Amino acid sequence: MKIVVVALATVEPDQFFQSSLMRRRCDIDDFRALKRTAKFTSSLRDDLCATFNYMQFLESNLLTILILLPVIGGIGIGLHSVFAPYRDEKQYKWIALAVTVVTFAVSLILLSGADNSELSTFRFEQNVPWINALDTRYHIGIDGISLWLVLLTTLIMPIAVLSSWTAIEERQPSYYIFILLLEAAMIGVFVALDLLVFYLFFEASLVPMFFLIGIWGGKKRIYAAVKFFIYTAIGSLLMLAGIIALYYSFGTFDYPTILRAMNDGSVVLSVATERLIFGAFALAFLIKVPLFPFHTWLPDAHTEAPTAGSVILAAILLKLGTYGLMRFNFPLFPAASRYFAPLIITLAIIGIIYGALVAMVQPDVKRLVAYSSVSHMGFVVLGLFSFTDYGMQGALYQMLNHGVSTGALFLLVGMIYERRHTREISEYGGLVKPMPLFSTLFVFASLSSVGLPFLNGFVGEFLIMMGMWNSTYQYAWVATMFAATGVIWAAVYMLWMLQRVLFGRITNEANRRLPDLNFREIGLLAPLLILMVVMGVYPNAFLVRTRDSIEQVRVRVASPQGGGTLRYAENVTGSPQTRIEQRP
Amino acid sequence: MTNHWLSLIVAAPLIGAVINWLVGRRVRSEAFIGFVACASIGVSTVIAFILAFTDNNGAGAALFSEPARPVMSHLWTWMEVGNFRADVGFAMDRLSGIYVCFVTFVGLLIHIFATGYMHGDKSYYRFFAYLNLFMFMMLTLVLGDNLLLMFVGWEGVGLCSYLLIGYYVDRKEAGDAAKKAFIANRVGDWGVILGIMFVFFITAAAGAPSISFFEKTDLTNLVGNQVPAMTNAFATIATMAVDPFTINALIAGGLTSAAILLFIGATGKSAQIPLFVWLPDAMAGPTPVSALIHAATMVTAGVYMIVRCSELYVRAPTAMAIIAVIGAATALLAATIGLAQNDIKKVLAYSTVSQLGYMMLACGVGAFSAAIFHVMTHAFFKALLFLGSGSVIHGMHHEQDMRRMGGLKKYMPITFATMLTGWLAISGIPIFAGFWSKDEILYKTFSTQSNSFGLILWFVGLCTAVITAIYMTRLMVMTFWGTERFAEAHAGGQGDEAHAQAFADKKTTAHDAQTATIDDRQHHSPDEHVGAATSHASHQVHAVHDEHDDEDAHEHHGLAHGQKPHESPLVMTLPLIILAVLSVFGGLLGAPYALSLGAIDNPFHHTLEPVIAHEPNFVGGAANGADDAHGSPATTETHSAPVSANEHEGVPHGEGATAAHTPEEIFTERVLAGVSILLAAFGIGLGWTYFQRRPLAQMPRLLENKYYVDEIYDATIIEPIKDGSRVGLWRILDVGVIDGIVNGVGTVAREAGNGARQLQPGFVRSYAAIILLGALLVIGYFAAALAR
Repeated sequence: MKIVVVALATVEPDQFFQSSLMRRRCDIDDFRALKRTAKFTSSLRDDLCATFNYMQFLESNLLTILILLPVIGGIGIGLHSVFAPYRDEKQYKWIALAVTVVTFAVSLILLSGADNSELSTFRFEQNVPWINALDTRYHIGIDGISLWLVLLTTLIMPIAVLSSWTAIEERQPSYYIFILLLEAAMIGVFVALDLLVFYLFFEASLVPMFFLIGIWGGKKRIYAAVKFFIYTAIGSLLMLAGIIALYYSFGTFDYPTILRAMNDGSVVLSVATERLIFGAFALAFLIKVPLFPFHTWLPDAHTEAPTAGSVILAAILLKLGTYGLMRFNFPLFPAASRYFAPLIITLAIIGIIYGALVAMVQPDVKRLVAYSSVSHMGFVVLGLFSFTDYGMQGALYQMLNHGVSTGALFLLVGMIYERRHTREISEYGGLVKPMPLFSTLFVFASLSSVGLPFLNGFVGEFLIMMGMWNSTYQYAWVATMFAATGVIWAAVYMLWMLQRVLFGRITNEANRRLPDLNFREIGLLAPLLILMVVMGVYPNAFLVRTRDSIEQVRVRVASPQGGGTLRYAENVTGSPQTRIEQRP
Repeated sequence: MTNHWLSLIVAAPLIGAVINWLVGRRVRSEAFIGFVACASIGVSTVIAFILAFTDNNGAGAALFSEPARPVMSHLWTWMEVGNFRADVGFAMDRLSGIYVCFVTFVGLLIHIFATGYMHGDKSYYRFFAYLNLFMFMMLTLVLGDNLLLMFVGWEGVGLCSYLLIGYYVDRKEAGDAAKKAFIANRVGDWGVILGIMFVFFITAAAGAPSISFFEKTDLTNLVGNQVPAMTNAFATIATMAVDPFTINALIAGGLTSAAILLFIGATGKSAQIPLFVWLPDAMAGPTPVSALIHAATMVTAGVYMIVRCSELYVRAPTAMAIIAVIGAATALLAATIGLAQNDIKKVLAYSTVSQLGYMMLACGVGAFSAAIFHVMTHAFFKALLFLGSGSVIHGMHHEQDMRRMGGLKKYMPITFATMLTGWLAISGIPIFAGFWSKDEILYKTFSTQSNSFGLILWFVGLCTAVITAIYMTRLMVMTFWGTERFAEAHAGGQGDEAHAQAFADKKTTAHDAQTATIDDRQHHSPDEHVGAATSHASHQVHAVHDEHDDEDAHEHHGLAHGQKPHESPLVMTLPLIILAVLSVFGGLLGAPYALSLGAIDNPFHHTLEPVIAHEPNFVGGAANGADDAHGSPATTETHSAPVSANEHEGVPHGEGATAAHTPEEIFTERVLAGVSILLAAFGIGLGWTYFQRRPLAQMPRLLENKYYVDEIYDATIIEPIKDGSRVGLWRILDVGVIDGIVNGVGTVAREAGNGARQLQPGFVRSYAAIILLGALLVIGYFAAALAR
């Protein structure tokens, strides 16, 4: 925390200390000390700036830095463990924690100046040629759609590292290397604006996860890991084919360039081609989501993965799918998106109810939460394909909510797993007596997942249902009514689980003396719990930044002529080549 | 007009809850916790009464300002997407003003009572934190200035109800009841969410998208910024035509659909058919909770919502008819079940369901002010009865079975005297509060013009009134008169509510009741029991708590040998006395012209009138224009006070009828009142003569088992869903079909690759290694390309 404050103070000392907010927060001694430190660091900054404008450097390379920080951390751990290993490999988690925390702190700069208007185009853009033979460019940038997802990623990762603190005892260096590489890949996915770069990051996120499940997972980890890998690899191979098909049509992998060509009408995909490529992309993303009936990898992967793996999987990796739909499928293939929407909406609604019903009867806590993810992600897909502002904003918000709530639930489940080494609901019961704090937080996270108003889940679900209701499909209201039963089922399976795990008499003597949460566990849950309240009570802070970006996608995908324009496809002056040449 | 003190009404209980949760849990001082809890509600109460009754900022009191203008406090915009906006802002108009006053006041009394009742409880702080949280949510519900914020309170009270029903966390039946309550409410909430969307899209189609109850203009938020204007959704609805009275209107997607969806929510929260089953089970919570949440405040939220949305309902005659029928049916059904229950709280629970049915009936026939009036008087006398029963249970050391009571009036004179007034009030004896409100509902039902079967509904209501008098008399007789059965009952077995229930359901012998508690017993040694018993005798109160180990601290066991029931301490009897006074005189606020012989002209009704809707079809041609005048606080602002006064004297319309007092109407009202007084007296007489002689008479099994509704729901809905999900969806579809296909494809691929098998060692980890190698090669290739 202090580091962040000092960093802020260093960057803009004058504004920072003039802000009355800061004055109120610090007591006077702290304030003076801070001011001294800041004076020192800012003079240091001035010295640095004399030779090298690092703010400009930071701003123009911020996303690359975000991607590279974890990679460097991972390489660092790797080199250290090979050449100068600690006697106790438990030290490596500290490096991982430091790296993820720093990455999170740096990622907060993304919020700077990010008011509504600036997010209608890509910010922090970087666009350099990469493989000229393939006309591939290293093109990255964020807008309102990816902003919060990147921040969610960088927030979840330190929490994931902390949750592995005592749970992971074997091969710690490689474990944390995989975690850090995974973080880099996931950030890369959210910021990539070149289809090939996107694909590489998309695939790259698969590999560390595969190993996390396969090496540190539960009893059936090999089966789960292979199933996870094959399922998603099949999807992404199809996407690769789609990307290549686009390349042959447009002669580039660059996403804005392709959009521009579509806008100009210089390249027109035939209806059949558009649908085919849409299908290739959509299948990859819908498997990742996962949409019913492509979901059966999820319960196995979630259940067998170590806690951190489940958390990352639920909180971030699933969002890769819905993010891909919103980022690529809708703007690139608007007509095909509309064509397939009724089918996908039907599957989403089936998924909402089906996921909930199956979750209800699971005897395994983790599996229950996993199936609840199927239900919740069904809501997200529903909102996306409503093609309304309510629905799509709600869907993006629900992605974040699901990350926070389900992430917290997996963490909590992991905590009792670590104590009892069982996931069977019937093994528990009456935990509220030995673990009152755990029980309170578990109830809290469950209520957020159930969608209690003033907690985060409600906002997303409500907006999604409104969006569906307001969509132009026939019988949209019937669909909404079915989808809305999801809120009932959610209460049924969560409360039933809570009752069997937390309440009642202690039936198993092993539960009688369980220790309650320790400071580390409270600390790693706290940010998520605070977010649940903040996101539930003041969602506007989030919605305002996503509005413009989503509205552009919506207008493009919802207008019947397949028209509509994306500002970031228009505003770019000149071709990418000319822009790059202007750079030193 | 802006007045941010309003927000403190809502915030104070939240602050109290937070203090008790964070500080109280460490302090562990009952005095501190009780003080924080009561003081926070006290602050709310004082501010609520000041805002409601005094002229603040020269703008007039919330209850009496002319023209009717709400006091408002806008805090921040909650969510804003497209043309949809929901605020976090509060408003007190005449309706919410009345509501807030009795909610905070009754709430305060119950908090005070609870400090005595919960004395010695292990997690005292938790109880009061929950109770304060509940008050926060309830006040949010009532004061929320738009539908979605009301829904926050709506779900929030449901949550607190869940937490408090399940307060005794290690009792299975408490957990089951809590879950059942939450889920039944969730089924209703499904309707509310959709109803809110419906209202929004209906108003959006009319060009003024809004879910706000009030027009928001010229408001400033906490930091003094201007609040963007907002139209009143129900003023927009008030300009719309009345839906036709057909079944098809229900699914036509118009006003009727919205109305019925919202009503589904009301059936959940206000325990109407078909979702009433949760309320009787909710009695597993501590008794003050039953009084506060499950009698006086939360369960009337459905009525509040319907009255709040009255502009919508008067334009949806089909929905109104359905509400009236369901209300009447619920009233009768619950009253008959109440006749046969032996648990004192269960009787009161079914009585609550029955009274809520009356309120719904009133809403359904368009007598909205009568509904709210009954909500208020019911809050007085039902809170009194519940607290009285709490006092009895407390004095009997947590015995709830009336068959083991009897003759208590000698031991608990104050409790007896106060419950006596509650009994007379609910039975409908004149002067007492319940008479005025119940009779107004019956009269309005009889004379309704919104449907053609008012006479039948009136008859049902009348039958219910008789049965109410009978079962309440049975309760009083079994508890306070007759032989003292607690001594002999104790010999049979120690009962807490779980045991009592087993006893009641199975008609088992005492021996069976004991076997049912074997699980509980394992935690006691016989010696402990003796210890407990002697301490009961020596310490007057509650020593019992300390004698048991933690787990069983709240499982009480009735009276020990030779022990006598005792009167409760002052903190418990004082609220009873205050509520008793209100139960006697509170009803005079709404005494109609005809029955008070012209002395009082229903001030309650006249206060509420400007903020509730009237049926537009009664006003004739000028329906919409004239209606607007009464329709909503926003539009009334445009009319000056004399205008509305003129309208009162003018053509009688709908509810305004009493204002005109034609001789025929006065005559009808008096005759009907006479009939109901006679029937109430008959009911009491019948109950008295029958149960005085046979207090333990066997009641019909069908009633005792609650018409087997729970069993029917279990067999037809719950079990099929569970089994279908487990076997059909999970084992067959998920694991069998989908995974079967996936694994099948895998198998085929493996068979096909048999030839290549020699190349591979067969360890999955080596496959992974190969995959990694491939990935590295690809990455390496690109890296090399980049370098070039």
